[in-house]
Amino acid sequence: MLYLRVAEQELVQLYLDKKLFSMVHFYVGQEAVAVGVCDALKPEDKVMGNHRSHGHYLAKGGNFRRMVCELLGRANGLARGKGGSMHMIDKSVNFIGSTPLLGSVVPLATGVAFEQKYNKRDTITTAFFGDGASEEGVVYESYNLAALYQVPLLLIVENNLFAINSKLKDRRAPGHSLEKIVSGFGIEYRKADGNDYKDVTTKAKELADFVRREKRPAMLECITYRHMAHSTPLMDEKYREVDTLEERTKQDSIAKLKVELLAGGTKESELALMEAELKKSVLADIQFALESPFPPKEDIYTDMYAE
Amino acid sequence: MEQRIIKYAEAIKEATKQILESDKSAFLMGLGVPQGAAGTAVGLKDLFPTQVLDTPTSEAALTGMAVGAAISGLHPMVYHERVEFSLLAGDAIFTQAAKWNYMFGGDNPVPVVLRIAVGRQWGNGPQHSQALYSLFGAVRGLKVVIPSTPHMMKGLLISAVKDKNPVVILEPRWLYQVKGHVPEEMYTEPLDKARVVKEGKDVTVVAYGDAFVDTLAALKLIPQDISVELIDLVSINPIDYQTIAKSVEKTGRLLCVDSTNSAFSIGSEIIAKVAENPVGLTQAPVSVAAPDVPVPTSPALSEFWYPTKVDIANGILKMFGKPLLDIKLPFEELHLAPTTTLE
Ligand SMILES: Cc1ncc(C[n+]2csc(CCOP(=O)(O)OP(=O)(O)O)c2C)c(N)n1
Repeated sequence: MLYLRVAEQELVQLYLDKKLFSMVHFYVGQEAVAVGVCDALKPEDKVMGNHRSHGHYLAKGGNFRRMVCELLGRANGLARGKGGSMHMIDKSVNFIGSTPLLGSVVPLATGVAFEQKYNKRDTITTAFFGDGASEEGVVYESYNLAALYQVPLLLIVENNLFAINSKLKDRRAPGHSLEKIVSGFGIEYRKADGNDYKDVTTKAKELADFVRREKRPAMLECITYRHMAHSTPLMDEKYREVDTLEERTKQDSIAKLKVELLAGGTKESELALMEAELKKSVLADIQFALESPFPPKEDIYTDMYAE
Repeated sequence: MEQRIIKYAEAIKEATKQILESDKSAFLMGLGVPQGAAGTAVGLKDLFPTQVLDTPTSEAALTGMAVGAAISGLHPMVYHERVEFSLLAGDAIFTQAAKWNYMFGGDNPVPVVLRIAVGRQWGNGPQHSQALYSLFGAVRGLKVVIPSTPHMMKGLLISAVKDKNPVVILEPRWLYQVKGHVPEEMYTEPLDKARVVKEGKDVTVVAYGDAFVDTLAALKLIPQDISVELIDLVSINPIDYQTIAKSVEKTGRLLCVDSTNSAFSIGSEIIAKVAENPVGLTQAPVSVAAPDVPVPTSPALSEFWYPTKVDIANGILKMFGKPLLDIKLPFEELHLAPTTTLE
């Protein structure tokens, strides 16, 4: 979790310097969700994401170096520079792709899970998406399909209370209940405190086991806070009512873990050393990316069709 | 008198404000509209609390709802921040709104306005910077305009709301910060007429949207002895072939500019129609457009994707057998949206 945090914090400066020349959505604040969920999965399980997927990718065992290369538009990036921040992909760690069109990941992941069922695999598929994406019609059509075809799909709704700067309460009628909706489709539902690693990972493990065993879909809704603005590192405090700076600081999953570790006997200096090492490795990867070549002009024409 | 200069985005906001003031059946809806919609609706929610609606991220339903409200006589303006998002509402736009009046034998107007932001923006790549002009141009039953200047933007938006039919305004987001003269009062611009912006006798150049602005700049790069007649296409559905044919008959040459893929482009459509009846044409028409692949994200690639003012100028120079320009444009000009003031 700390790795995700440190990594993204270092990306902020690159963005401000216009070196990271790709539309970017920072994951800072939501780390407990990606890490809690991915820790509950097997390496062979598949994961798909949305526009805010740096964290999902890294938590699935992704390679930060190749990710930064992609963010900086370099030839050795995850998508050879064609995609950028909103298009994480790395099949070597079973990260099957992320797409910024809201809701689109749900039918796609249903199809990926369908293949797992079709070929009688023991693996499952996990889709990460937000409360905003949950308002797209195709999401509900997919719930029905996933339940109907009984596919091994674990749906992770990251509810950070916002779609860009639109508040949940401006987008939903009072009494709206995701639990009732998905339960009505026959999907197993749990809710977790997305600012708490243990709560997320315990429930994610239960549900991942359930999906694998029962071969049918389940959903974990994680309530969490986005620390940065929607798509830039800038702050946007004026929109926030619930997740104020004070509340975010209090609920921060990483700060909470730190307190626990210290109470358990880990020394402050050990933690500081760990953070310093992480930062060193992150900076080395960024340096590597900055020195990596851009794709040649001719690359515009490659990759449109599979060979 | 001193001319008032404002930005393209401000022209949208001003037109919207005047529409909401003067037409109480008009309303504006879209995701994030109360927060300003890229500067095109800043502060309007405070002024018109019941006429400005934020929405959930439910493009299909909200657009269908707007079409339904229009069937009942309201004048909805729907804002889609990206053309890709509007595609989720494909049924409501292409199959419902576009067909309604025709399939019920007339007398069933659908006065809905769809404002859809399209095209280039740094770092947005394959799924966030398509233009898809030809898709909207191809579907019968829609009126589709692409405002190229702040002045046109305001006049076309006001015309669109007054029209009884579904009007799609494709707004190149690349132009939002471009400035130009815009009258304060309400005025209209025709939804179906191309504009001859500059008269000339040697070659007809047809452009629209951001490519129009680049073409204006390109004309400054070529020698005075090539006399260009510049046409701002304005409408791509229907296309004003009459104005184009008349111009080509005079100049004998035609060059079309698209800031998107060459395949199935508006330019190739115009060239095909002119070729059917090539009165006065003395030379093969030329298309300047983007390569036929998706838009890549890396700046190292997108730099070569969009036709620049230099490419347009060279397209013209080549038609006259003149030496080509070899100018390398600075990073900012290649990648950051222009803030120029149009004459
Ligand atoms: C179909 C579609 N409509 C609109 C958008 C614009 N958009 C990008 S992210 C976003 C908010 C998404 O909110 P949520 O799904 O909760 O994810 P979060 O950004 O909060 O992580 C919106 C509206 C989009 N990407 N796709």
